[in-house]
Amino acid sequence: MLFNSVNFAFFLLLIFILYWFVVKKSFKFQNILLLIASYFFYACWDWRFLFLLVFSTLLDYYTGIKMSEAKSQSNKKFWFWLSIAVNLGFLGIFKYYNFFASSFANVISSFGFSISPLFLKVILPVGISFYTFHGLSYVIDIYKDRIKPERNFVDYSVFVSFFPLLVAGPIERATHLLPQIKKERNFDYSKAVDGLKQILWGLFKKVVIADQCAEYANMIFNNSTEYSGSTLLVGAIFFTFQIYGDFSGYSDIAIGTARLFGIDLLRNFAFPYFSRDIAEFWRRWHISLSTWFRDYLYIPLGGSKGGNWMKIRNIFIIFLVSGFWHGANWTFIVWGFLNALFILPSIIFNTNRTNLDIVAQGKYFPTIKELVSMFLTFSLTVFAWIFFRAENLSHAWNIITKIFSKSLFVYPMYENDDFVKPLMLLMIIFVLVEWFGREQQYAIAKLGNALPKIIRWGLYYVIIIAIFYFAGTEQKFIYFQF
Amino acid sequence: MRKFIIQLLLFLTPIIFIAYFVDVFISKNLKKSNTYAEGEYSTWNDIIDGKINSDIVIYGSSRAWTQINPTMLSNELNLSTYNLGIDGHNFWLQHLRHSLLLENNTRPKLIIHSVDIFTLMKRKDLYDFEQFLPYMLWNNKIRAKTISYNGFDLIDYVIPLIRYSKCRDVKKNVFSMFKIDKDKEVRIKGYQGQDWKWNSDFDKAKKKMKNYDIKLDNASVLLFDKYLRECKDKKIEIVLVYTPEYIEGQKFVKNRDRIILLYRNFSKKYNIPFYDYSNDSMSIKKIYFYNAEHLNKKGSELFTQKLIDTLKTNKNLKSI
Repeated sequence: MLFNSVNFAFFLLLIFILYWFVVKKSFKFQNILLLIASYFFYACWDWRFLFLLVFSTLLDYYTGIKMSEAKSQSNKKFWFWLSIAVNLGFLGIFKYYNFFASSFANVISSFGFSISPLFLKVILPVGISFYTFHGLSYVIDIYKDRIKPERNFVDYSVFVSFFPLLVAGPIERATHLLPQIKKERNFDYSKAVDGLKQILWGLFKKVVIADQCAEYANMIFNNSTEYSGSTLLVGAIFFTFQIYGDFSGYSDIAIGTARLFGIDLLRNFAFPYFSRDIAEFWRRWHISLSTWFRDYLYIPLGGSKGGNWMKIRNIFIIFLVSGFWHGANWTFIVWGFLNALFILPSIIFNTNRTNLDIVAQGKYFPTIKELVSMFLTFSLTVFAWIFFRAENLSHAWNIITKIFSKSLFVYPMYENDDFVKPLMLLMIIFVLVEWFGREQQYAIAKLGNALPKIIRWGLYYVIIIAIFYFAGTEQKFIYFQF
Repeated sequence: MRKFIIQLLLFLTPIIFIAYFVDVFISKNLKKSNTYAEGEYSTWNDIIDGKINSDIVIYGSSRAWTQINPTMLSNELNLSTYNLGIDGHNFWLQHLRHSLLLENNTRPKLIIHSVDIFTLMKRKDLYDFEQFLPYMLWNNKIRAKTISYNGFDLIDYVIPLIRYSKCRDVKKNVFSMFKIDKDKEVRIKGYQGQDWKWNSDFDKAKKKMKNYDIKLDNASVLLFDKYLRECKDKKIEIVLVYTPEYIEGQKFVKNRDRIILLYRNFSKKYNIPFYDYSNDSMSIKKIYFYNAEHLNKKGSELFTQKLIDTLKTNKNLKSI
């Protein structure tokens, strides 16, 4: 059940009605309803993996309690490492086993030996990277005595499985989400309206921007040998918009949906393509994952406290792990490596926290310097996305060598190019709406608020018409594969 | 909460009204397209609007649609004829056309039913689904017969525009009504001869269908039996026709003989003629075909003539 499907709209409507009209008297019943709805939502993907989700939930729930009851540090450590090992074990088997097996076989073959490794024919359970990280943060926080274990299994399960965030985040923290689950929630009109608006904008990003860009990005990347450097560059830019529209659109729908149930999720995107440097980009892109790595990997490794070498080591570790988290492919690892490389100068020269504010805050337009900084950051990001999108390293390399060749200066040509210009116009309009809404949580949060209601609603109708017009076959969200 | 519900309903009400209006607009204009959805709209429109009213109707799949020329039949037999062959579909949807025909038109005197190895199968996907889109929301019979296929859910049949939101091509075609030079109608009385030469379909099919075992759909077999019985009861003459098939193509299907025997049994059971042209001399000449299953225009005209000659000799049909 995709967020951009009609089935989801009906599912959401049904749960909303039951939540606020049938079980509204007790938040405990509301939590039970959310849990049933979440498991149903997950089972719609593949009911067999529901057992894995329930097992993972039970494991972290149980080890959390055991850690808090442990009478000795060694006993606590035992339960902690058991949870970590099993969680990462599942992730390793389902997501990385085949990658390691084939990489190992390649290494062996480079020594002149030949082995045929045993590959697992398993599909990746949707959302496994996300709910595993939920669980990991929970057990780490208990182990570090930052939080107390949750003893109500339903509440804990809702924290792990809450359907808006179950398959692609945002990656929540127990300290943020659990307290909301454990208290009464009253219907808040402005929150619900805001939630609907955020869902609408998320759908626009997904259906109108991401899915349309995907058509051309896929066409160009899948037939990269046939295109000139200029077309490949345009293809990379299409993919840059696709992945942003896709993932931030998903996050908007997830956050908006949660708000309909009176729950606030962590913000996941803050207009990352308006960043003035890569450090700022990473404070604005997939925020819940970046902060997860910061809190549970970068800081425990020493963070920025040590000397330059330690900082460099830690930066490379978190970016390589982050790349690997996205998928079992060398392309993701190189993507992570490139980002580490891009951010390195600002870490070494301590300029990584220069741009903490919003670009051109309170102004309509950026300064020339800001514009140039944004352009350079965007260019580096586009370059790195080529690796993220490519099938393998040689595919990425071929695209890059072609982009940096004479063919960069020929007029870009595509198949079915009658829609390219309208699409580019759409992308420009999209960038402008995002730019003028960049001081809000999402671009249209205050769109037309100063205008009469009829005009404001008119703007929403225009967005709905665009979504209808551009809707085609339901495309899966890119981040579901992670 | 009350305020939220009221505001939401107020916001949605124009959308619901507009959605219905736009659905009607799209459906009406899509039906006017002569070329989209393989030109099937003209046939559906004629059936539903009661414009068939023919003495002879031809049923079947694309092997009826492209192979039996109704104009030749009309001219030679002095009986109005219409070809209701539906591309890519089995008996399940051929029967839909039959029931809509009886509902909206005068009863035919003769049905020429083109049967083949695929007739009593039931495909899972709603092939050429675009042809059903304008009718899905509005026609109960079409809804009932097509809902079991993959690709569309109940909501596509009850909520306006949902089904169209999935088809960008359709949204583009809707505006074809504004075109000054409208595409010419491609079907004549439902028939469309294909002026094509032998293509690569045969080689593709050879790879895909070697030792292919046709799985008959029980519900379709029962429906076929019921349909023959009802026609008999309603005094509608039927002839079953197995149109020519290129000889090499006949080797693909393992249970071909068993399926043909099934038609022979139906023929005996209801005392209706079964004309099997699969071993006709045409079947060994590639020049008449564009692939193993389909005659080209030249072949279809030659075959239609042969069929006319056979029909002329049938004593039962002389009374029509």
